Amino acid sequence: MLETILSTESIRKSFGAHCVLDGVSLSVRKGEIVGLLGPNGSGKSTLLNILSGFTPSDGGAVNVDGHDVTGLPPHAIARLGLVRTFQLPSMPHRMTVREVLQAGCRREAGLGGALRRWRYDAEVARLLDQFLLTRVQDQPASALSGGQKKLLSIATALRSRPKLLCLDEPTAGVHPNLRSRMVELLKEVNAQGVTILVVEHDMEFIRELCGRCVVLDRGALIADCAPRELVENPRVVEAYLGKAVEKGKLTA
Amino acid sequence: MFEFLIHVSTMACLFGLLALSLNLQVGFAGLVNFGHIALFGCGTYGAAIAFANQWGPVAGLLLGGAAAALLALAFARLGRNLGADYWGIATLSIAEILRTFATNEQWLTGGAQGIHGLPMLFGSLPAPWGPLATLGLCAVLLAVCWALCQRLVNGRYGLALKLLREEPQLASSLGYDLAALRRTPLVISGLIAAVAGFLFAHYTTFVGPDQLYSAETFLIWSMLIVGGLGNNLGAVAGAFLMQFLLAYVPFVKDALGLPSEFVAAMRLTLVGGGLLAFLLWRTQGLIPERIGGRHA
Repeated sequence: MLETILSTESIRKSFGAHCVLDGVSLSVRKGEIVGLLGPNGSGKSTLLNILSGFTPSDGGAVNVDGHDVTGLPPHAIARLGLVRTFQLPSMPHRMTVREVLQAGCRREAGLGGALRRWRYDAEVARLLDQFLLTRVQDQPASALSGGQKKLLSIATALRSRPKLLCLDEPTAGVHPNLRSRMVELLKEVNAQGVTILVVEHDMEFIRELCGRCVVLDRGALIADCAPRELVENPRVVEAYLGKAVEKGKLTA
Repeated sequence: MFEFLIHVSTMACLFGLLALSLNLQVGFAGLVNFGHIALFGCGTYGAAIAFANQWGPVAGLLLGGAAAALLALAFARLGRNLGADYWGIATLSIAEILRTFATNEQWLTGGAQGIHGLPMLFGSLPAPWGPLATLGLCAVLLAVCWALCQRLVNGRYGLALKLLREEPQLASSLGYDLAALRRTPLVISGLIAAVAGFLFAHYTTFVGPDQLYSAETFLIWSMLIVGGLGNNLGAVAGAFLMQFLLAYVPFVKDALGLPSEFVAAMRLTLVGGGLLAFLLWRTQGLIPERIGGRHA
């Protein structure tokens, strides 16, 4: 039995009268790639924001690698190993791609880092190469295409040595060719021991990448299964396509 | 004329220190501080209070530095719950509160009349060696602070500050404690401003609340905008350019036979007009921020 790296217990969140998460409990084991699915407005991004500390929950608990992180600020959660990317990665205007990657490693950027002499950074060079960013390394990070920004945000997240990488819609607005490469890249990252939780709409991407999926609908967990089982799950089909209507009912 | 040149150069070095220190906050860490003059005031009043109590100049420097560090920490603490623009307004308010405090607490600060008669640092030397030695000291300190700021911002630490300035949410998601990241440049900047204040107090031999008007903060801001935000060389160049331009306005008045009122009006026009011109036509300043390159 693999060790659990992330577990949530009865997470609740409402915005005014609108209940977004209604007691969500899930767990992710070390080494897994888990897809978090659900129709628009089902609460996926809110759940990710709560897990990473960017949004406080109304109730429930979050545990990351044996630490109760409920209510901790984002930087404290990141330091415990849960690092996330954003759905619309906003990148700096006055920093190059390489500079963003260099700044990604917090441990090297302390005040002591100001005293260290310049040295060739093999890890930055490797990530630039792995994530197809070598050619654009001296461009301002904000000038990258949407897909390149997603790649840079994942590469930057890896610089902080995450145990659990949470990706918010990594393929949204990404060219299909880049999408295939992203699947390979994330599998490589996972093979190096990084657990991945990915919020995604693209079913093809999920099928290629994930070993397990959890599905949210209207703030509740409705499925926890292998990707191939999703289409056979009536609750998932209903969440995405609506309830089947009996023949003749509409004309009544 | 030689003495005047030494005086303007000394003042340019002092404003260069202030511009460097503000640049560390605004140019690199994105901390929009409108109350920067209060950190300078910690240095001037530290020197003056130590003089009034006969504690000696070293105690004055330490007192000013400690007060500036504490004020910088208070600014940082205040910034934890405020957005950048609201924080800027809060720093302006705090600077005004401190100026009012200095105006009214006569027992400590000498009130509106301030504290007179501080000794010049090289007062025992005959002219022009005394002012020249002061200029030399100010120039050396400016060079040291410039080298310190360069070291800070050219390394990985500088990149972390830039990430804080540009994308705080991204920095936070990577494990950066934004409050701690804001604290350090504020304290270092406060210490540099306090050193400038200490030197200024002993150079002019007088400390008063009129030196702490918010207009002085905006003068330093205009030096930064003209010189180049996010570039240490630009900050110092902006300070020297503005200082020399403002100092030579009376000569233009004399040459053109204009009335005395022209001087004040021309200085305002130079600051406001220069600021506007750079904001409209050269937003990056005379020496723009360097993007890319090698980092330690």
